[in-house]
Amino acid sequence: MSANALKLELPWVEKYRPHLLKDIVGNEETITRLQQIAQDGNMPHLIISGLPGIGKTTSVSCLAHELLGNAYSQAVLELNASDDRGIDVVRNQIKQFAQKKCSLPPGRHKIVILDEADSMTAGAQQALRRTMEIYSNTTRFAFACNQSNKIIEPLQSRCAILRYSKLQDDQVLRRLLEVIQAENVQYTNDGLEAIIFTAEGDMRQALNNLQSTVAGYGLVNGENVFKIVDSPHPLIVKRMLLAPSLDESLALFKELWNKGYSAVDIVTTCFRVTKNLDEIKEAVRLEMIREIGFAHMRILEGVGTYLQLAGMLAKISKVRGL
Amino acid sequence: MVGIDEFFKGQHTGKQPSKARATGTSRKRKEQPVNSASNPINLEDSEDEHTLEAKKPSNQLKAGVSVEIVDEEPQPRKRQRATAPAPKAKASSPKKSPKSKIQSAEAGTAEALLSQIPSVDLDAVHVKETAQFDFRSNGNAGDSSQAAAEEANFPEGAPNCLLGLTIVFTGQLPTIERGVAEAIAKRYGARVTKSISSKTSVVVLGDEAGPKKLEKIKQLKIKAIDEDGFKQLVAGMPEEGGDGSAAEKARQKLKQQEEKAQKDAAEMIKVEEEQREKARRVQSKANTADKREPVREEDKLWTVKYAPTSLQHICGNKTSVNKLKTWLSNWRTYQKQGFKNAGRDGFGVFRAAMVYGPPGIGKTTAAHLAAKELGYDILERNASDVRSKSLLNAGVKNALDNTSVVGFFKSKHDGDVNQKNFVIIMDEVDGMSGGDRGGVGQMAQFCRKSSMPMILICNERNSPKMRPFDRVCLDIQFRRPDPTSIKARLMTVAVREKFQLDPNIIDKLVEATRGDIRQLINLLSTISTTTKKIGHENAQEIAKAWEKNIALKPFDIAHKLFDGRIYSDVGSKSFPLYKKIELYFDDFDFAPLMIQENYLQTRPSVLKPGQSHLAAVADAAESISQGDLVERKIRSSEQLWSLLPFHAIMSSVRPASKVAGQMAGRINFTSWLGQNSKMGKYYRLLQEIQYHTRLSTSTDKLGLRMDYMPTMKKRLLDPLVERGNDAVPEVIQTMDDYYLSKEDWDSIMEFMIGSDKTDLQIKKIPTAVKSGFTRKYNSMVHPVAIYKTGSTTAVGAKPAATPDFEDIVDADDNVPPADEDEESKEDTDFKKDKLIKQGKPKVASKRAGSTAKKSAAAKKRKTK
Ligand SMILES: Nc1ncnc2c1ncn2[C@@H]1O[C@H](COP(=O)(O)OP(=O)(O)OP(=O)(O)O)[C@@H](O)[C@H]1O
Ligand SMILES: Nc1ncnc2c1ncn2[C@@H]1O[C@H](COP(=O)(O)OP(=O)(O)O)[C@@H](O)[C@H]1O
Ligand SMILES: [Mg+2]
Ligand SMILES: [Mg+2]
Repeated sequence: MSANALKLELPWVEKYRPHLLKDIVGNEETITRLQQIAQDGNMPHLIISGLPGIGKTTSVSCLAHELLGNAYSQAVLELNASDDRGIDVVRNQIKQFAQKKCSLPPGRHKIVILDEADSMTAGAQQALRRTMEIYSNTTRFAFACNQSNKIIEPLQSRCAILRYSKLQDDQVLRRLLEVIQAENVQYTNDGLEAIIFTAEGDMRQALNNLQSTVAGYGLVNGENVFKIVDSPHPLIVKRMLLAPSLDESLALFKELWNKGYSAVDIVTTCFRVTKNLDEIKEAVRLEMIREIGFAHMRILEGVGTYLQLAGMLAKISKVRGL
Repeated sequence: MVGIDEFFKGQHTGKQPSKARATGTSRKRKEQPVNSASNPINLEDSEDEHTLEAKKPSNQLKAGVSVEIVDEEPQPRKRQRATAPAPKAKASSPKKSPKSKIQSAEAGTAEALLSQIPSVDLDAVHVKETAQFDFRSNGNAGDSSQAAAEEANFPEGAPNCLLGLTIVFTGQLPTIERGVAEAIAKRYGARVTKSISSKTSVVVLGDEAGPKKLEKIKQLKIKAIDEDGFKQLVAGMPEEGGDGSAAEKARQKLKQQEEKAQKDAAEMIKVEEEQREKARRVQSKANTADKREPVREEDKLWTVKYAPTSLQHICGNKTSVNKLKTWLSNWRTYQKQGFKNAGRDGFGVFRAAMVYGPPGIGKTTAAHLAAKELGYDILERNASDVRSKSLLNAGVKNALDNTSVVGFFKSKHDGDVNQKNFVIIMDEVDGMSGGDRGGVGQMAQFCRKSSMPMILICNERNSPKMRPFDRVCLDIQFRRPDPTSIKARLMTVAVREKFQLDPNIIDKLVEATRGDIRQLINLLSTISTTTKKIGHENAQEIAKAWEKNIALKPFDIAHKLFDGRIYSDVGSKSFPLYKKIELYFDDFDFAPLMIQENYLQTRPSVLKPGQSHLAAVADAAESISQGDLVERKIRSSEQLWSLLPFHAIMSSVRPASKVAGQMAGRINFTSWLGQNSKMGKYYRLLQEIQYHTRLSTSTDKLGLRMDYMPTMKKRLLDPLVERGNDAVPEVIQTMDDYYLSKEDWDSIMEFMIGSDKTDLQIKKIPTAVKSGFTRKYNSMVHPVAIYKTGSTTAVGAKPAATPDFEDIVDADDNVPPADEDEESKEDTDFKKDKLIKQGKPKVASKRAGSTAKKSAAAKKRKTK
């Protein structure tokens, strides 16, 4: 284990990036659809939208690989936010690529992958419009983005829009266990639980945290994970939120604060804990979350003070009717 | 913590699959159709009803529901029989109908079956609550199915089993919402109407039905049944509506529709064949041309494959298409007359036409087809070409002057170029961006001089960027086509692609894509990748699959979030908060909008004691508005994505929790998108007016709208209404005082709301006065405000064209659009140092006759 930790190695997110559509977890329905497309060919223009780290980029590149196989290198043009994708590139590089002749098996087309397409300027997107139509017999486009509404309407109209929903905890777990087995990681259940808790459906974050914990401590248990991600332990936060009086709640909070956790970490943990705080009625929890959320907002605006959080706890105890 | 503990327990004991944990009903429901998809195979061999039920746990549950409710009714046996065989009927395709006959023998027609279903005692409709309790306890006993849509709990019927029936739903049904019930009825082919008439075949009565309706039912002696009766009806009716005469008629109509679709499809195939033949011939002739083999049909995008091949095939917008065709076909005549003679329709003065409208409704298609059908060759430029002033000059101008076209087109047509007629299509004119500096102005210039017809295409005609094209182009608007015109087309596609498309679902899809045909076709093509495999034997199956599809998701989300049951103490255990938040994450673009659209339409069941509906709505509204504050943090430049879960609560879950209950009507698609673009349009109009009036007003846009406009309307419209022709000079004087153009006059009228609303008043003005006003206005010379920022001397002071600047030139408050600037530079003689120029008399007089019509047309468009 420790030898493993010292070795310099690829980030696990890359090492375990799925190469086949069937290895992608979650969003089964959409993935099935993509698999069908990979089999039949004739991929339509696609927009895949969804939160970060749920496999958008991965799906697109898997699809392209499965469709084109060895021809990938010559028949795929991949551009992401780090490439220049200004209007000139669209008008020159992309258009030229679309015009390029390329002998592919029937049902296969050249593919232009535009990752993080929501960062493209409107002008550049406009310039894609007719290109997508005129060369559609030879070239198809695939966009991946976080917000589909940042893609101009005419482009949306030209594409099949696939929306990825957030990964479920058990889906993240499934993938984690695969990686754990491949890497022969030692873990405890509360460790995995902690990783999933902090990742909130973001697979990239889950894998990164897993790798960091392994690299840092070897053993993946709850304590180590929370140390790595530097957030307070949810159990303490839970006690703080459920304290029978404001004084007790504040005392627990002070403890956390003195340990050096940042306001953002405390407040986000509060949010996550409250979400699943079955001890309290849902209607009350919604009010609590409202207070926590606004405190979160103010903290992000730069007011991450002790007083801010203490105020939040006071409001929460009021909401709880203490 | 999210029940992971539980999961681990499973992990450790015996490698239990994660299914046991039952994450999210959505996942659960996904699995169901697959089950039942494989089931028909089992069913075929099994005559035994018991095995059947054992194999279909989900259906058993459903049957259980109805059985339990039925227990209180007088004749439980019979009903049980009526419901139990339902799955069988559903699974059997037409060929296997003998089997379903067994059960439908006793009720072959709707009349026969209805006579078996007990009528509701009309005088006792108000006391009926037991059924609801039944359902609840049942829902709790089963797993988390409580949260599943009611529709899922509804017995399955045979495809189109209600065909030919006209059903009216009234009152509040005990366990399903009226909207859902109506949807179910429609899904099975029934006609659903709102009011009771002699044509009504059956009324489904719920609680609190209106006394008038009851009266009517009695009067017309229409069969009235309750929800259970309706369930039996659905479950018991044989496929295709049985043997009744009404069903027969409806079937015939459907058949006609389908035949038409078939015919269209056949015709399409024929046309395609011919085209391919032609293409082959052309290719063999042009032996030097590339040897590429033609693209296989099945490798084309559906949108290409099913693109209209003649103008007639374009759905909707018939008048606009005709307008374009008429204009283009007479273009040579107009040219001979030097574009002086406006003609009866007023088209005669235009060398260019501007086609505009939202994406995906056939603008580009129409332009290309019109050109082709009239024998023109097409020279197209679009947003993927650089269209800066200089390049346009070099490129298009050459083509325009028809001198060096040969060079221009050498690659494609050698030799006979000069005999060809060209039409220039400038697509995506609003896609010209910062890099195309001066392009818009230059293009407008071309439109004035062109010796070839030009068709310009854009999405946003009203944006300030497009202003240079005012009065130089014939405006042709394309609107979003209505569902009926799209329906036929989509059905044709469905027939050709051999998958079954439920016509009843098309309306919803059209609404969700806002009439975007291309998007619809794309949607069909995506969905069909997986669903056609399930086969065209079973419409039900596919309809189910459809409901989960991408575009319908927002409806589902809203439906679930507004379900009052998931907020009760029990309900929040089986469908906990994190699952509600996940609903939002299923589509976080649309979920908040759908909640906002529909939150007023519920009958809350979650009210606290003593709380009024209004107070609950106020709570919800407050939450929504606070959600917007959060959203701004997320979507603005700050990009605080970590607030997204909080947004989920404030924008969706919390407001829904305040007003959840039953839906009072059907769930509407968000109108925010449309309203938002309308708002954008009005802002642009307002900005325009502000530019114009800036020299004689001293206010900002808001002030102009709030303080000036009501008075302006009084001075610009009321005199015309009261005194007719006599008031025209006065009105024109006022307009000149404020540098208002005739278009501004129209815009101002459009801005009026409430009691000031102008359309009725305008209607009151006699046509003679209106046209007199326009004629008079056009015959005069008017002062025009030229807007420039910065110093008046700085004609060239605009920041030197930065080649990398890519964003579309957006006119914001202080920066007038660069293109307008550019254009004014063109005719430098009379505006070097003045802010005011005398309008272009040339243009005005030339257009004198035509504008009357044009502005009338414009008005019509605007009042729409
Ligand atoms: N009215 C219509 N009737 C039939 N098919 C249509 C219609 N409108 C759009 N389509 C389908 O959508 C495709 C694209 O239409 P088209 O290129 O004309 O859209 P557009 O209006 O130019 O959109 P954009 O503004 O995005 O350029 C067509 O090839 C056709 O398959
Ligand atoms: N659904 C998934 N199944 C398996 N691995 C995933 C999935 N989603 C993300 N990952 C992991 O996270 C990494 C980042 O995924 P990526 O597709 O780049 O996310 P994004 O959606 O932000 O484009 C991948 O390398 C992969 O290891
Ligand atoms: Mg990515
Ligand atoms: Mg177009």
